[in-house]
Amino acid sequence: MTLLYFLTLFPLVPALGMLLARGDRARDAVGLVGSGIIMAVTVVVAVMFFGTGPQSFEVAPGTSHVLSIFSSVIDVILCAVILYNAYKYRNALTGVLGVVQLVGSLAFAAMTLPATEAVTATPLYLDYMSAIMVLAVGIVGSLICVYALGYMKDFQAHDEHEAALRGQTAPDRRPQFLALMFLFLSAMFVIVTSDNLEWLFCGWEITTVCSFLMIGYTRTPEAIKNAFTQIILNMLGGIAFLAGLMFLHFNGMPLTISGMIELSGAGTAQSALLVMPVVLLSLAALTKAAQMPFHTWLLGAMVAPTPTSALLHSSTMVKAGVFLMVKLSPLYATYPVTGFMVTSVGAITFLLAALMAISQSNAKRVLAYSTISNLGLISACLGVGAPEAVWAAIFLILFHTVAKSLLFLCVGTAEHHIGSRNIEDMDGMFSRMPHLTRLMMLGIMGMFVAPFGMLVSKWGALVAFAQTGNVLMIMVLAFGSAATFFFWGKWLAKLSGVDPTAQNVEVNVHKTEWTALNTIAALLVLCCVAFPLISSGLVSPYLAMVFGRVPHVIGKDAMYLMVVIVAFIAVVLLTSFRVSNKPHVNVYLSGVGTESYRHFRGSMGHEVKAEKRNLYLEDALGEKRLGPAGSVVCCAIILFALLCCAWIGPERLAMSAPSVLRGKYFEGSGVVGIFIGTVAFALIAPLVGGLIDGLDRKLSARMQGRVGPRLLQPFYDVAKLLRKAPASVNTMDDTYMACALIFTVVGGGIFVSGSNTLLCAFMVTLAAIFVVLASASTQSPFAQVGADRELLQVMSYEPAVLLMSVGLYLATDSFDSIAVTGQSAPIVVYSAPIFLALLAVLTIKLRKSPFDLSYSHHAHQEIVQGIATEMSGGTLAKMTLMHWCETVLFLMWVGMFFVWDNPVSWVVALVVMAATYFVEVLIDNTFARSTWRSCFKLGWGVALVFGLLNLMPILVDVFI
Amino acid sequence: MDHKMSRSPWVIHYDGSSCNGCDIEVLASLTPLFDAERFGVVNTGNPKHADIFLVTGSVNAQNLPVVRQIYNQMLEPKCVVACGICACSGGVFRDAYNVIGGVDRAIPVDVYAPGCAIRPETVIDAIVEACGILDQKEAVLRAGGDPLTVGGAATWDGGVELGESGFVAAAEAGAGDAPAADGAVAAGGTSDEPAAAKEAE
Repeated sequence: MTLLYFLTLFPLVPALGMLLARGDRARDAVGLVGSGIIMAVTVVVAVMFFGTGPQSFEVAPGTSHVLSIFSSVIDVILCAVILYNAYKYRNALTGVLGVVQLVGSLAFAAMTLPATEAVTATPLYLDYMSAIMVLAVGIVGSLICVYALGYMKDFQAHDEHEAALRGQTAPDRRPQFLALMFLFLSAMFVIVTSDNLEWLFCGWEITTVCSFLMIGYTRTPEAIKNAFTQIILNMLGGIAFLAGLMFLHFNGMPLTISGMIELSGAGTAQSALLVMPVVLLSLAALTKAAQMPFHTWLLGAMVAPTPTSALLHSSTMVKAGVFLMVKLSPLYATYPVTGFMVTSVGAITFLLAALMAISQSNAKRVLAYSTISNLGLISACLGVGAPEAVWAAIFLILFHTVAKSLLFLCVGTAEHHIGSRNIEDMDGMFSRMPHLTRLMMLGIMGMFVAPFGMLVSKWGALVAFAQTGNVLMIMVLAFGSAATFFFWGKWLAKLSGVDPTAQNVEVNVHKTEWTALNTIAALLVLCCVAFPLISSGLVSPYLAMVFGRVPHVIGKDAMYLMVVIVAFIAVVLLTSFRVSNKPHVNVYLSGVGTESYRHFRGSMGHEVKAEKRNLYLEDALGEKRLGPAGSVVCCAIILFALLCCAWIGPERLAMSAPSVLRGKYFEGSGVVGIFIGTVAFALIAPLVGGLIDGLDRKLSARMQGRVGPRLLQPFYDVAKLLRKAPASVNTMDDTYMACALIFTVVGGGIFVSGSNTLLCAFMVTLAAIFVVLASASTQSPFAQVGADRELLQVMSYEPAVLLMSVGLYLATDSFDSIAVTGQSAPIVVYSAPIFLALLAVLTIKLRKSPFDLSYSHHAHQEIVQGIATEMSGGTLAKMTLMHWCETVLFLMWVGMFFVWDNPVSWVVALVVMAATYFVEVLIDNTFARSTWRSCFKLGWGVALVFGLLNLMPILVDVFI
Repeated sequence: MDHKMSRSPWVIHYDGSSCNGCDIEVLASLTPLFDAERFGVVNTGNPKHADIFLVTGSVNAQNLPVVRQIYNQMLEPKCVVACGICACSGGVFRDAYNVIGGVDRAIPVDVYAPGCAIRPETVIDAIVEACGILDQKEAVLRAGGDPLTVGGAATWDGGVELGESGFVAAAEAGAGDAPAADGAVAAGGTSDEPAAAKEAE
């Protein structure tokens, strides 16, 4: 209790210290000591929490009343600050909203403060969720404050330099800035530990105003404009919050979260009235979480100095919004209209923001869109109101906090040292800022690559949506994840480039920045590795407490396997064991390359640099197209929810959501089973795959009326490649390729051992990412174009592959491939449309013409072999082996649809696999190469049409 | 000697200054009628993947560095086939002011396949011949030897360099950055056209 007070109030001390301290050294001391103490107290609170378990804290009525008065006074002061700024910058709309909020706050204070009987007995609490948030805010937040100390020195130096060029002086506003950061931490602690909604609202408004002041930090016209966008949108949310509170008070309902949840279970006429405040509070939460149509404020907020973006706009403040929704999530199942609003807005935001991120080249904007998108997914999960989905949401919150703050801080440091935040300028960063780039890559992998936490959470979300039969969300997730894969993948590829001529420019990065970056990176890996523990120690108990049921989302064995793989990737990325000693060769530039890095002799005799830009697909996915459309739809959804509350009788809106929980749980075959499967797959798949490849070439030859190569030709090719002299354009590509081969084999092992097909699909995607890294790291323009196309292909087929797993689940109630053997009929009977979708994307996946955009084994269309341009000898052999394993695995996916509990079915499956492959060869020989557009359209088109066709019955099923 | 190399000869094709007659025939040998893929031949179009370098046409001042760069980017064991009479000796263009002669003036050639234009059968025959040299080179490599002691490189004189005022024999120019210069046994005499004679023109 005392500790909680201390935790909340202590950040004000360094905040005050910042205002008083003069000079860099004094500020550094205050910042470091302050952050250190906050972190220490956070950890102590967490440890104490583990000792005592969740508890509520009583506050004496007198004290409580005083604190309420105090929070009302703060609200009024904040309104005054807003009004002052509105007057100073002549912003009428802000003024009007400010007056509305001021009047509202005063009226609310006048209503509640005299009513002493309304004082809650236990206004403070600490449960599992609060503990997670306290840890996240306390540790990550403090580290960002530490980072800010060094960062703001560079920022100020840069400002002063610019001002000096104009003949002016730049005012030093750093004390206020750093003070605001600490004040903000204090407000966050209030938010996550207050059961009393009045106090929570006070913290809520402090964060809004802090954000407003920090966005406007530079006082440039753009900063001021964006700051006002932020305050206007967030004040709409604040006013909705206030209206919700007034509604609660007016109807004599408790002004606490726990009280609301207790009341909702009562099933009385009064509890039915709760729907209105829940909608209003959710609306406030959606504005804070920057969901469409309110997302523009978060994009504008990127003008602020990077620590602001990291602290407020990615890791903590926006999490206040979703935190409130976590707390309200049990109510979403009871009041379906509120759940519908939150889920739909979240889902649309998730998908559209991910697509819009593809069209961005500004790193901070990509991060902003990705934040919006992830918050959308979190909201969508929470709106479902089932423990499975909330499980996923909590993990999304946790991992997003850590990974995204790491990324923001990395981009901030990179910006100061390479002078740009444009992703295109990060070419060759791997050599220019080696350590920073590795951390950045770790952060990006943390955001989207299996088995890092974010993807595991998405996996959880997919399982949750499948278990609750939420068809539309399954579709949105399948497509949104594919889009996410693309925009992160191309950034990762850009970073990975090794430039041997580059100068190392990271030598003068501040020590405080390194401390923060390294610690957060370590934290990210720690969170991933300790993931099973966090699940069983914090998240599951919380859900058991709130929902009375522990969700079963991901099997233990799958978790352990992922822990091993995360550790493996971290070692590959961060240590130097990978360095190969192959002789160095230059990249292939059509024979006209010069000695300089990536330069060639142009036709006019002078040197030209070969450059390659990323794909942005702006004409299809630009923000001008998607942004307004999304905003309109989301506005409509919110209005619909509000009108429902206003016009339809509340008692009719309160019912239990018609979500039927599906699911038998197979534990797969366990870690041992997967290991045996992997070994078996590693031994057999290359043999079978090579033979298939040989047959393929023989068959193609026959179709063209010729004899063709020998049947074992593919094996001869690999044997030859292994005997070529070693050479490499950099030290990394062979290692990446080896990783890709390993992950493919593990994926195959998971499948043949009868374990989770989703995990299998994620492993294949992980392998694809490493192939892309291997190719992009060479910095050959040909290979980079191939890598881009590879990413595009993955994005094209990913939805159909995820739907394949869902199809399996639909038929067997399990994601494990072994489940098909227990069926009385082949699953193609239930999932025929999804099977067709899989067949349609198989051509893309097997890299057959017309979709051999990145690389074809036959090379009959690619002149310099695209993605494999710079691979030679052993590296190329590894890629060939990997493709063989993939072929076998993909064909097994096809065969899976035809296996049931009859031994004859295995023969049927084999026949279908053979027939499928024959058709693939036929297609390969018939069609000329198509464009990436048709690849993308086909992949997404079939997944959308056939997927929906197949899944629709579940949606209807509930009502029959 | 095993045949690991010879069973999978991947080729890269480069047009020096051919009239395109030989190029058409080289590609013809890969078409269904002649079906060079019977021997495992794949046209890679990428020096890092290729084992056999098929050059058509004579080499001139403009493409001398290109031929050398492609050759250097190929990994051992590797072979060069001069396809057609121009590639073998410069053909009717040998006296042109900008032509240095056959491919062997630029890089060591292992197999000479004459013809104007070369016949697809000759191309396939030359590739099969080159396969044998690939096997030999691989055997030398594995024994820890120098692959440049096998095939055309063993007797190569270093070809010519682009000097200040014309072509200079590499042996005279000091064999500066000519490919494989350190490994080649500069025997000279295999060429019937001393580059110095050109310079006089």
